[in-house]
Amino acid sequence: MSLKIIAAVTAGGALGTLLRYIINLAALPSGYPYGTIIENTGGSFILGGVTAWFLTKKAPEWVKVGIGTGFCGGLTTMSTLASDTVMLAARDASAPVIYLGMSIFGGLAAALIGFYSVSFLLREKGGPSL
Amino acid sequence: MTVIWLMFAGAAGAVCRYMLGMFFARKFSKQAIPIPMLLVNVTGSFGLGVFLSLYMQTIPLDAYDNTWFVTAGTGFFGAFTTFSTFAVEAVNLLRSGKRMPFLWYTALSIVGALMAFIFGFLIFSP
Repeated sequence: MSLKIIAAVTAGGALGTLLRYIINLAALPSGYPYGTIIENTGGSFILGGVTAWFLTKKAPEWVKVGIGTGFCGGLTTMSTLASDTVMLAARDASAPVIYLGMSIFGGLAAALIGFYSVSFLLREKGGPSL
Repeated sequence: MTVIWLMFAGAAGAVCRYMLGMFFARKFSKQAIPIPMLLVNVTGSFGLGVFLSLYMQTIPLDAYDNTWFVTAGTGFFGAFTTFSTFAVEAVNLLRSGKRMPFLWYTALSIVGALMAFIFGFLIFSP
């Protein structure tokens, strides 16, 4: 385990967490945890795209880990998703179901779209086909 | 100042996730579903439940003026767990035609995180 990799995860994690905090603050007036949905969907889209990119483009390990594990990992969260869901359950019975539905469907769709958009763009430029 | 603590805690959470992920990856290398991030997410959700129960006694939506909530809750446990890796790993299972593993991985990740959070919150509740 190299120091370069740990430094990249540290820097990426700090930046991703800061961005998540800023989005949470911006979503606060709505009184609904939109922030977590935006972060999880956006981060999944970026990581989907980054995954496709690094499948065809060579890059040092610390770059991949810094962006993927560090930044995207720090930007997205599962623990807050769980706490948001439980918090919404106190409002009414349908609220946690709707919130989970948006999070899961949105996140998985975003990862797929991110992956295939970047694959498509790279293929257009003569990269390998899927 | 809160923002500095938040970034330190987020960095620490991400590094812990990376190291624990590597450790689990060596232990569980031949499973049908990606076990490492599943375990990390379940563990981190449990930890957030315990923290909120012990320190806040509630699940706040707008406690962003509380340095400890921001540092431990948003910073450490927020960054220790991840949704993007879960989403990409799930989508990878789907792309390679592994439908049942995809369904199991998605269900176990979400239900596991929820159950772990609730369990962590409840065991320290009065």
